[in-house]
Parts: sequence; C-alpha cells; structure tokens
Amino acid sequence: MADRYPGYDVLNKRNSVSWNDQTRAVIDKRMAIDPEKHTYFTDHEWPTLRAICARIVPQPPDRVHPAPVAAMVDEKLATNSGDGYRDARLPPMREAWRRALAAIDGEARSRYGRAFHHISALLQDDLLRAVQEGKVGDKWGNLPAKLFFQKRLLHDIVSSYYGHPAAWSEIGFGGPASPRGYVRMNFDRRDPWEASEAKPGREAHARAENARVG
Amino acid sequence: MTGADPALDRLAILALSGTAIAMLVRPRHVSALARSPLLPATSRLTRNVARSAARQLAPPPRRATAPRLAHLIARLAPSPAATQAAGRRLNSSAALLAFSVLADSAVEHYRGSFHNRAMYIPLVTGALTLGASVFGIADKRAARHPMRDTIYGAAAVTGLAGLGFHAYNILKRPSGASWLNLFYAAPIGAPMALALAGLLGRGAEKVRDTPYRRRPLVLGLPAGRALAAVSAAGLGGTVGEAGLLHFRGAFQNPFMIAPVTIPPVAAALLSAAAAFPGRIINHLARWWLRLTALLGFAGVGFHVYGVSRAMGGWRNWSQNVVDGPPLPAPPSFTGLALAGLTALSLIEREYDG
Amino acid sequence: MSADARETPRAIGGRAPDVFRVGGWVPMRQYDGDEEVDFAIVGTGAGGGTLACKLAEYGFSVVALDAGPYWRPLEDFASDEHHQAKLYWTDERIVDGDNPIQLGSNNSGKSVGGSTVHFAMVSLRFRPEWFKSRSKLGYGADWPLDWREMWSYYTEVEDALKISGPVNYPWGPKRPRYPYRPHELNAAALVLAEGAEALGIAWSPTPLATVSAPRGRAHPCVYRGMCVIGCSTNAKQSVLNTWLPRALEAGAEIRDLAMVGRIEHNDSGRVTGVHYQRQDRWRFQKARNVVVAGYSIETPRLLLNSATSRFPDGLANSSGLVGKNLMIQANQAVWGIMAREIRSYKGPPSLAITEHWNYADEGKDFFGGYSYMSQGPLPLVWSGTQSSKRGLWGQRLIDEMERYNHQVGLKIVGECLPQERNRVTLTDERDQYGLPVPRVTYSYSDNDKRLIDHSLTFMRQALDAAGATEIWEETDDTCHLNGTARMGDDPKTSVVNADCRSWDIPNLWICDGSVFPTVGGVNPSLTIQAIACRTADRIKAMTARSGL
Repeated sequence: MADRYPGYDVLNKRNSVSWNDQTRAVIDKRMAIDPEKHTYFTDHEWPTLRAICARIVPQPPDRVHPAPVAAMVDEKLATNSGDGYRDARLPPMREAWRRALAAIDGEARSRYGRAFHHISALLQDDLLRAVQEGKVGDKWGNLPAKLFFQKRLLHDIVSSYYGHPAAWSEIGFGGPASPRGYVRMNFDRRDPWEASEAKPGREAHARAENARVG
Repeated sequence: MTGADPALDRLAILALSGTAIAMLVRPRHVSALARSPLLPATSRLTRNVARSAARQLAPPPRRATAPRLAHLIARLAPSPAATQAAGRRLNSSAALLAFSVLADSAVEHYRGSFHNRAMYIPLVTGALTLGASVFGIADKRAARHPMRDTIYGAAAVTGLAGLGFHAYNILKRPSGASWLNLFYAAPIGAPMALALAGLLGRGAEKVRDTPYRRRPLVLGLPAGRALAAVSAAGLGGTVGEAGLLHFRGAFQNPFMIAPVTIPPVAAALLSAAAAFPGRIINHLARWWLRLTALLGFAGVGFHVYGVSRAMGGWRNWSQNVVDGPPLPAPPSFTGLALAGLTALSLIEREYDG
Repeated sequence: MSADARETPRAIGGRAPDVFRVGGWVPMRQYDGDEEVDFAIVGTGAGGGTLACKLAEYGFSVVALDAGPYWRPLEDFASDEHHQAKLYWTDERIVDGDNPIQLGSNNSGKSVGGSTVHFAMVSLRFRPEWFKSRSKLGYGADWPLDWREMWSYYTEVEDALKISGPVNYPWGPKRPRYPYRPHELNAAALVLAEGAEALGIAWSPTPLATVSAPRGRAHPCVYRGMCVIGCSTNAKQSVLNTWLPRALEAGAEIRDLAMVGRIEHNDSGRVTGVHYQRQDRWRFQKARNVVVAGYSIETPRLLLNSATSRFPDGLANSSGLVGKNLMIQANQAVWGIMAREIRSYKGPPSLAITEHWNYADEGKDFFGGYSYMSQGPLPLVWSGTQSSKRGLWGQRLIDEMERYNHQVGLKIVGECLPQERNRVTLTDERDQYGLPVPRVTYSYSDNDKRLIDHSLTFMRQALDAAGATEIWEETDDTCHLNGTARMGDDPKTSVVNADCRSWDIPNLWICDGSVFPTVGGVNPSLTIQAIACRTADRIKAMTARSGL
C-alpha cells in the first residue's frame, strides 16, 4: 500500500516543544535497541520468533530504521514485564512463549520437514492461521493455542511494533505531545506539526508539508 | 439636489443610471412601470418621507450655496481645527480597531486553516482599513477622501458579512446556538469590530468634510451624539464578546471581571452625556472612557501573562498564541473608548454653540 | 533527573513532592510506627486519598499508605504508552470465569493517587433512582444512602476538582453549574453528537476532571490526548494534585512504596494497625482505626489475607461477602471508518456522552442502564483492539492500522448486575511481596448480555447515522471494578454500613469502590469521592458525639 503519510517522521519532532526530557530519554533508549540482541530467547528459538514477528507485523523492506520487534519482545520476556493479569487457562508468560515457539517450529518441521523460519511466507501464514483457529496438533499439549495466539502472541508482538516510532509515523500518529499538545481538533484539520495525509493526486503537497513538521 | 449629503447624491445617480440601463435593456417593462399607478405613488411617498425627515433633522436654515462652491469654500476656509482634530481622532479609533481585527482574524483564521477562502477577506480589508486610517491620521487636509471612504465602506460591509459567516458556522454545528458553540465555534462578536472600524471611519471622513461654519453631522444627526451612540453600542458589543470568552474561562483570574464591569459603565455614562449633557456627567464620562482606553492596553498585558500561564508558556507559542487569550483583542476597547472621547468633545462643542 | 520514584520512596525526611513545581517539595508531617495515629488508610485513590484529606482537615491524625510511587507529573511522565505502564498495577493476578476480565492498564492503578492518576476523568453523578435500585427499579440492591444527601456531596467533589462541564446538563435533577466550562469537542465527539441528533436523543459534552482554564498552578488542558497514560500537563484533576496537597497541608502523612500486607487485630477483635513493606522491610503502623481503600481487588485481598484463628474467613467477613459481588461495567464498542479525517488521538478520549439509556426506562429488555461516549484510543490500545479483539494480523493489520486517522467509535459504560459468583479469592501463587496472588472470577449474567446487545445495536445505528462505514463490534471489553465489600443496612447481606464502617469490627472501615451495592451506568470515580466526603463527615459527627 502506498505511503499514506509520505515523508512524515515523528522523530523530526524530537527536539521540538512536542517532546519533553523524559520522553526523549525513553525513546532514545528504544531507538538504541539492537535488533539482533536476545537475552531471553535461545539461539534456537530466536529465528522462529523473528520469523513470526515478520509475518504478524510485516514492515516495508526498504525501511531505513525498521522497528526491532523481536528484540522488543525478547526484552519484555527478559524483564518478565507482565500486564497485570493472566488468563487462568494460560501458563505464565515465559513458559507460554517457550512452549509455543517449540510447538510452532515443531509443527513446521512435521508438516514441511523444515524449520519454521525456513518455510515460505505463505506457508508460515497458513500455519499461524491454524494456530489462531486452534487447529493444531498435539505439540501444544495443554497449552491452548487459540488463546495463546490471541492473548499472548498477538498482544506481545503487535504492542511491540506499535510502540515504536516507525509504526507511529506509518499510521500518521502525532507521537509524543508534551508540553505542546494540539490546537485544531475538528474534522479534517491538522496542526502544522501533525502528519499530512496524501490524498489522491496530492502526494507532493503532503510530502512538502511533512517535511516541515518539527 | 441638496449639496449637504453626497451619499444621497450618489444614491440618486445610481438610481438614475439604473433606470437608464433598464430602459435600454427592457424598454417594455420600464414603460409599463411608468404607466402604472405605482410610480406616482412611490414618488409621493418618497417626497413625504424626505420632507418629514428633513424637518426633524435639518440644521437651521441657511442660505443655499451651490454644492461645488460650498466644497470650495470648505477647502479654503475649513471648519475649526478642533473639528479636524476630532475627525483625525476618529481615524485613530478606526486604526486601532482595524489593527485589532487584522491581528486577531489573522491568528484565528490561521487556526481555522483558512478552510473557507473567504477567511482571507477580513485580513485584506483589515489591512486596507488600517492603512487608510493611518493615511487619514497623517492627512491634514480638511476633507474626506474617496479612497478612504470606499475602504471604510468595504470594512463595514465585510464586518456585517463576517457576522453572517460566523453565525452560520455556529448554527451548522450540532446543538446550534448553544453555549458550547458560542464558546468554540467562530466568535460571534468579532466581525463587528471590523464593521465598527468602518462606521467610525466613515464618521471620521464625514466630520473632516464638515463645511465652513456648519456643525459636524453624521447621517444627518449631530456628529457628537451619533458617534456616542455608535461608540456606546460598540463598547456594549465588545463587553459581550469579552464576557462570553471570560465566562468560558470561568473568570478563573479575578482581573477577568474588569472588561465586563469598567466598559459598561463607560458606555452608560457616554450615553447619558449624549442625552443629558452636563458638566459633572461629562466629566465622569470622560474619566471612565479614559479608564476604558487604558484597560485596552492593560488587557494586552494580562493576555501576555495568560499565554505564559499555559503549558509550556511562550516556548509553546505555536500552541499558546493560537489557543490562548487573544493578544490583539483588548485594543478594541481602546479604539472605541477613544471614539467615545471624541464624541464627547464634539457633544460639548455642539452645546457650546 | 531525580531518582526513579519506583525504587526509592519520595515522601520521607519530613517532606513530600510538590507536584506543581519541578523539583519542589512541601513539608510533610511524619509519624512513627508506634505512634498510634487516628486513621491508617490503605490506598490513596479516589476513596483513600479523598478521605485522608477530609479527615486531616477535620483535625484527625492520618497516615495514608500506598503501594505505588509518588509521581511528579510534570517531570516523570513521558508521552509513551509502554513506559507509562508504570502507572498501572502490573503485579500478577489470575483471571477466569466465563468472561475473564482484563486488568492492569484497563482498570488498575498503582500510584499515589490511585487509579485517578490514569483515569479518563469522566465525572458523572448517579441517577437518583439507582440508590434504590431494588425498591424503585426492581433489580440489584438498595444502597443505604439517600440520593439527596449524596447530591450535596457530589457538589462538594465537583467543586474540589473544578469539573469542566456543560452549562446545562440534560439529564437528572438540577445540579449547580459545573465550576469550569466544557472542553471543545474533537471530531470523534462531534460524530457522537451528529449520530445522537440524527436519532433524536440528547447528548452533552462530558463533565471531565481536567481543567479548561488555569487553576492555581495547574495548566489548562493542551489536548494531547494521553490522559490514560498520565497527564504531564497537570490539567487532569487527579487525587494526586487535588486532595493530597490539601491533605499534606492539613498534617496528613503519605507513605509511598508502602504495600500493606496484613491488618493486625487484638484479642478484643479490634484492629490495631497495619503491616506494610517499605524499602525491603516489613514494618508496622499503629492506628486507632484502619481504613481499607485499595479498590475492588486489593481491598478484599487484604481483608482475606488478614485472616487469623479469630477471623478464619478474613476480617469483616461474617456475611461471607468479602470478595463477592464483583461488578465490572460493560465497555463494549462499535467502530467504523469515516471519509473525513478524525484524528481522535487529540483531546481527552471521551469528550461527548449520551446518558439517554440511563434515564429511559421504556424500550429496554433488561434492567439497568448504560451511557456511551466518544473515544480516542492511542496506538497500543488501538492495535490491540484490531489484533487481539478483532483478530487481524499481517498485512491486513498493517493496512487497517494505516487508517488510524479515519477511525471513529462509540463505547458504553454499562451497568452489570451484582452476582455472588463473581468474586476475588486468593490463590497459592505468591507475588514479589510474598503475598498470595488474587484470582478474579467473572461471568456476565443474561441481563448483562441483553444490555450489551441492546447497546451494540443502538450504537451501530448512531454511528451509521453519522456517516461511518465498515462498522464492526468490539464485544470483549470491560471497565472499572466495584462491589467486593458492599454496603447495606443488614450485617447478614453486607460488609459495611452506610458510613463505610464494617459491621464486624467497629474500627475497621472500607472506603473505596468496593462498597458499591450496584454500579449504575456511569463511571464510579465521582461517587467514590462523594462517599469518602460523606464518610469523613459521619466520622466527624460520631467523634463529636461519642468518640470512636
């Protein structure tokens, strides 16, 4: 899909009055995450996780600074940062992920004879869809696949991606906003520091406006 | 045709030209109209109305002077310097109001993203009015200027049109004419500042054009009283606008009560002085008007403080100057108060004879 | 930058943070652990914080403990959803039942100021009849409170918080004008308004606890839309920047990072103080009275956890109802796409509301009521809705999320009935304090389901009438927590009386959302604070008469 907000980058506002010190500290840290670093998942689990992340939240291949989604998920597991509740039918987060990654990879090997991260994207999607629908084999044991997919896998991966500035720019979100918030709140109004949408035939105009965001 | 009112002259010329054109384009309709009883009836009515109006409003009868000659005499032997000064002071009032409108509508229409092309018009008209008024202040000639007249007329019309646009903006939103929309849709009273700039400017030109040994008249009325009425009404409207927005701000700062208490008293005293002038009431009116004029400047100071009071203060100017208390709005009070003071001085001279 | 508030307590050394000044401090009276204070309050949220203020202002000695950190909003809050998870109760809790609920960011705060630090500031009064739901409307239970008395307490709270509300409120009996004027509506709120007008029902700007004009040293709202991840503008009138500064000035002590694990009692069956953990040590605070105000999960958890041989079922539990009758409020929504840009991330999330179905009794096939409001979800919440709730992932998710600025929605706050099977119990798992992890069990009743269906049908019509397309329903969401220590006039069917005093132990009080017998179709924060104000007045009156 064509870029809806061409040239828009929330990071352009990093030194503007839309960001405060605390925000800069937090986002700088996030931007500095090494996409390959994994302290929780083993070298064996890591490629499976990376491949799953690439299917759940695919990023444009030409993106200069892609969001390090797998590394962010790994960090969450490493710090064991829970959300404050756990469905009784699921084991604790760390155990759930370990078992699920093993099950997914195992499923790929038994179906196609290759590791999950070696099969084609199409087959990966098929397999993930099967997990989402709960149509899985016995590799899951008593770990409910459908529930895991919905409450853990999607939750952890999607929230990692949409917690990253690259995703904020993609969806035209205003990004951090303190001390400066927003002035114009009515329909079809944007403040000069917001993303400009490329309406059909107005891509150049939007790009020019987004270049001035800061 | 009487030479006392060029406006009527122009109206007559317009009417005659219109008739001429109609005769060329639609001769049959014109002759049908001429044959109907409508035309004599209308002309009878017009004559009667004009006569009774002239009786009520006419200055004391003077020797009739040919219009061109009167104009020439006015140029060679102008009315007293005081009258000219009064005229130019009215130009100042128009200037202040025009400046206030120019700056305020620029910020507010920028906030509105100029989503309707017409939102550029008050900026253009305001700038022209400001320019014309400054020219008028500098121009020491004791006469009206047709360009200034036209610009002031345009200002008046633009202001009234703006009122219509703003009313539409309010009424088209959900809940129509509700408190919420009065607070946040287009400010209903703001365009009137431009209309007032235009009216006071026209008054300025009329006063400047007062012929020798005539009393200054505006719309056929003694200038002082007419301008007092306009100023008092203008003050009342501005009080309403400030009151509405300070109500929106919950009068959270005690000083916000000033623009809804001081100017109304000034307007009341001015109106009283116009109706029943006397030494004491004129004195009181003068001082309250001066206080109101000062309030206009103080208001800017308060609004500057208000911007600094918002999150991020002046550093967050891109939000707070647009969102915050309008910096150029309070000088409207100054412009109107000055006009009131000018009206007061004219009233005093009217009664001195 | 100052030390992380999560690691080291800030309210120590005779001072507490001044939330209005960067790096500022205010003096704080401190009490020793073996100084028997009049009131030890567990929790400083809408119930505990308000009560701490009022009691201190009435001259009582008060220590208010909170497990959470003492935030400085102007400095500590980042504009980032992940980082701001620090505001929520993210300690482990187990959820089950037919409809396991979401906790954490959804409804549970862990801060000095409680959940009001992250709440959406919606400040609504109960419909008067709800205080007598059973007798007047035929469902639920009666409150042992009179609505007219509550009406004046609502006024007190609205003034204390300088609620920004409409000049005229369309529903319910007359109330004094809200202290501040309503906020401007954003596009999402205008969609609610247009839909309501198309369907011929009333709507209103929502009364919100965030100021539309300066107040004291608080700045007016800048419409950054990050209310539920913490207001760094200080425009939000949370307990942290309203009741607590007053409490400190009146001589109360706030103890941050103090997790109360157990309430102690003596042989006469009266409570004597609280055991709490602070800076890695268990400590004890002596008190003449203990008020539990930990909100509807921590309150029963603490009471159950304080069980002894004398009170084997936990404190104040002779009725067996501690932990039972947990009520959430239905929070279902409809969402759609507009051709116009909405950009609902600007401004507070719920700028417009209709309470039509709270006050209309005809045309319903269920008991109770619901209100619905416009929405402004931030990217994490929205992507979670599209993925976990709607099931989208992959390129479909990416494409749908790209339409973020065109999405619009309506979400209910719907009354769910009290059911004893919905409850908070203790498990055998232990948390980082060594305390048993709670289990939260929840299932909808048939009435709840009918209410939800009715609301989804109606809101769909409203959104459609406003011109939205691709309308879909979000059926799995709840909000708020109430009911686990209900008040009543009979010790056999309630835990506390109308004064929030437990029937079993005369010097044990409960003052938070857990005392609600029914939950109504409005957000509970205003009612909790009103109850706290009333309780303080009752305590003052009782002390004057006979001493406590």
